[in-house]
Amino acid sequence: MDFEFTSDQIELRANARAVLEAACPAAVVRAVYEATGDGTALWSRLVQLDWPGLTIPEEHGGMGLGMVELAIVVEELGRAVAPTPVLATLTQLVPLLQAAGSPRLLDEIAAGACTGTLALAEDGGWHHQPMQTTARRDGHAWVLNGVKSHVLDGTTADWLAVVAQGNDGVGAFLVPAAAVVATAVVVMDPTLPIATVTLNDVTVGGDDVLLEPGDPAAALAIERALQTSVTALACSTVASCRRLFEITLDYAKQREQFGRPIGSFQALKHRLADLYLSVERAASLAWFAALTIAEDDDRRAIAVAMAKAAAGECQRLVVRDALQLHGGIGFTWEHDLHFLLKRAKAGDALLGTAAYHRAHLAELLGLAQPA
Amino acid sequence: MKLRFDDEVETFRAELLAWLAINRPSAAEMAAEPSVSTGHAPPWARRWTRTMFDAGWLVPGWPPERGGRNAGPVESLVYIEELAKARVPRTTNVQGLGIVVPSIIDYGTDAQIRDYAMPILRGEATACLGMSEPNAGSDLASLTTRAVLDGDHWVINGQKVWTSGANYADFCFLFCRTDPHAPKHQGISIIIVPMDTPGVTVRPLPEIIHPHQPDLNEVFLTDVTVPAHHLVGELNNGWAMANGSLAHERAMVWVNAVMGLEESLTTLLAEAPALLDRLTPFERTLAVDQIVQVAIDTQAARCLGYRGFAKFARGAGAPEQALMKLYASEARQRVALVAAEIQGADALAAGGVANDGHHAVDEPQGTWLEQYFHSFANTISAGASEIQRNIIAERILGLPRN
Ligand SMILES: Cc1cc2nc3c(=O)[nH]c(=O)nc-3n(C[C@H](O)[C@H](O)[C@H](O)COP(=O)(O)OP(=O)(O)OC[C@H]3O[C@@H](n4cnc5c(N)ncnc54)[C@H](O)[C@@H]3O)c2cc1C
Ligand SMILES: Cc1cc2nc3c(=O)[nH]c(=O)nc-3n(C[C@H](O)[C@H](O)[C@H](O)COP(=O)(O)OP(=O)(O)OC[C@H]3O[C@@H](n4cnc5c(N)ncnc54)[C@H](O)[C@@H]3O)c2cc1C
Repeated sequence: MDFEFTSDQIELRANARAVLEAACPAAVVRAVYEATGDGTALWSRLVQLDWPGLTIPEEHGGMGLGMVELAIVVEELGRAVAPTPVLATLTQLVPLLQAAGSPRLLDEIAAGACTGTLALAEDGGWHHQPMQTTARRDGHAWVLNGVKSHVLDGTTADWLAVVAQGNDGVGAFLVPAAAVVATAVVVMDPTLPIATVTLNDVTVGGDDVLLEPGDPAAALAIERALQTSVTALACSTVASCRRLFEITLDYAKQREQFGRPIGSFQALKHRLADLYLSVERAASLAWFAALTIAEDDDRRAIAVAMAKAAAGECQRLVVRDALQLHGGIGFTWEHDLHFLLKRAKAGDALLGTAAYHRAHLAELLGLAQPA
Repeated sequence: MKLRFDDEVETFRAELLAWLAINRPSAAEMAAEPSVSTGHAPPWARRWTRTMFDAGWLVPGWPPERGGRNAGPVESLVYIEELAKARVPRTTNVQGLGIVVPSIIDYGTDAQIRDYAMPILRGEATACLGMSEPNAGSDLASLTTRAVLDGDHWVINGQKVWTSGANYADFCFLFCRTDPHAPKHQGISIIIVPMDTPGVTVRPLPEIIHPHQPDLNEVFLTDVTVPAHHLVGELNNGWAMANGSLAHERAMVWVNAVMGLEESLTTLLAEAPALLDRLTPFERTLAVDQIVQVAIDTQAARCLGYRGFAKFARGAGAPEQALMKLYASEARQRVALVAAEIQGADALAAGGVANDGHHAVDEPQGTWLEQYFHSFANTISAGASEIQRNIIAERILGLPRN
């Protein structure tokens, strides 16, 4: 048992932070917000540094690192509010490919030649049983029909892993962007763009059938892949919260009213102490979840749900107090604070809110019947 | 980062468990002669301390002559976890073994170690900690119990309060004002005062839970005379020593708090089906969410504790340790409250706190509502939650003092 990062992991974090401070300053985020720029140059830089291959095995051109390293990198992305395809590609598509035991796309992704995402939610829900999106067998192929909501990078990803319902259970299918109709949702946080994806008689065959409906391992594989996605988003969200906390703490030390720093008032001191606790609490649970995945510990389902719930609870407090403690200045578009505020909110809303995961925990802990 | 313990640690654990299986006091033995205060060590507790001391299991991190085996910090952590799991108290005199002994060893003379620390380690004596006074609680440094050096002895006058275990302890580790003219943090010294010294009067203060077995006391000191060599460490350096000795506790004391929390959660999850069955569907939904939040708190406390511990074990600063006192004590309060509220009017039944032999030790005992009331012991003592928040804000986060 050791809850300290290895020296390699500490170095990875320092490198990631340095890269993002240089390649993703607030100006880059602001340009995305104001539609005067995008994340293309940032992504090129990350590809140059082999980030897309972080968790892809070396035989496919990747670095072969694990869940803890992935957590570290997405934390740094969350801290920088980075607009990159990393979350969708590396924490949503790749884990599904890996859980399905499929080598498809791994080389291209590692080389930065393509991006991807996961099309799971329907009508805003993450847990439809049965899925409304259907997979119908047609000879050796499958035909998909349905509408997927809240697909991260849905209009830009080259490939979508679509989860769909067959007669004998759920399956997962790899679909190229050209085969679907993706409509961007106008969102508050353009660094996590989402889209509604419609599948009209999309035919999938061969290696692109990642998990066949009826395959007894399919549901579990999807669940395990999703655990990685959820944990990564929890890590990213907590990191956004940590940054919000740091900025608010600095502000409370500098801003003077009534002839002294506002951070000298006990009403704010206690709130800042509680924010700090909330961030450390959520971070500890997020790392625990990452560890249970890295070591395939049997507490992983519970740990993941706890991590996402705690991240959601953390952002609830931190977003509120960061905005409140900044007074009027934090309310302005000109101030960079709102990039983090919105990213933290998005981190809770996507892949199930805190309440969603607490409800799931109620089932896992035997306090409620599965829906 | 990793979840598993190293092989050497598992070997250590196995050795401890094998030893415990043979040597531990039985539940019946403990219940037959219960400890009734943190200053009280009944015969089984004295034998048990001695047995652990002789076998090097009393303070594993220390050398054999001090009751240890030079174990590392991770082993020491495992040791505390395993004792708690086995529901064997390490001591009934928590402040003696946890604070007084390490302080004497760190700052005391050889004679003080021989005469006061070693007897506690061998289970022959117990100690209490005389810090708080009626007008010096959170603001401990304003204490006024006065010690004046008169030739070769100290003459002490004043009053202490909330002195846990003073009604049974053999001596008191007494914080006194020795320089009334110095700034308040710089005029405090620590003096060892045997409780049978003439002029020491103890008045127990029964608590809101189990009033028949009071642990708290008022201690009145009237012209109490002790030899000059009872001064511990340097004159007027008591404040710095107090902070040093509490640091010993913080590195490990979170484990007991977390284990208590885990035990409460386990009990609540076991009782939950019956409790939830009596609720309307909507009440049930609300109750389940409360239990789930407690479960998250519990896992978080364990992880946050491990995180701080990982830094501590490397000799690095661990701000998480300051968070743990606050978080674990408040989480324990929440679990008891959640459970009591789900019980509804049934929570009002007074169970009488069953004393299984060591109730003064930090384990959840009694009904949920009794546990809830009792939980304030931990959110008030050793720096109340509000003081913890001040400390976190000022010392860790660097916010300006007023
Ligand atoms: C939407 C909006 C519209 C506005 N419209 C107008 C307008 O039309 N005309 C106008 O003149 N002004 C206007 N204001 C300004 C508004 O009155 C100020 O924002 C407000 O008084 C807070 O001041 P501040 O922004 O400088 O924050 P600060 O005073 O710097 O406060 C920052 C934080 O510190 C806290 N704080 C400050 N002092 C203490 C203390 N002693 N104890 C504890 N906490 C403390 C505050 O509660 C806050 O959380 C508007 C502001 C907003 C957001
Ligand atoms: C079960 C138990 C066992 C104890 N055992 C011992 C013992 O063995 N030896 C010993 O010496 N003492 C012991 N104590 C005493 C304990 O250390 C004090 O109770 C504690 O320091 C608080 O002091 P107080 O009770 O005087 O409360 P006060 O200091 O009067 O505090 C009252 C309230 O005001 C709040 N408050 C005080 N100052 C501030 C501030 N600056 N900012 C915000 N809020 C503030 C506190 O948090 C608290 O909520 C024990 C107490 C308990 C409950």
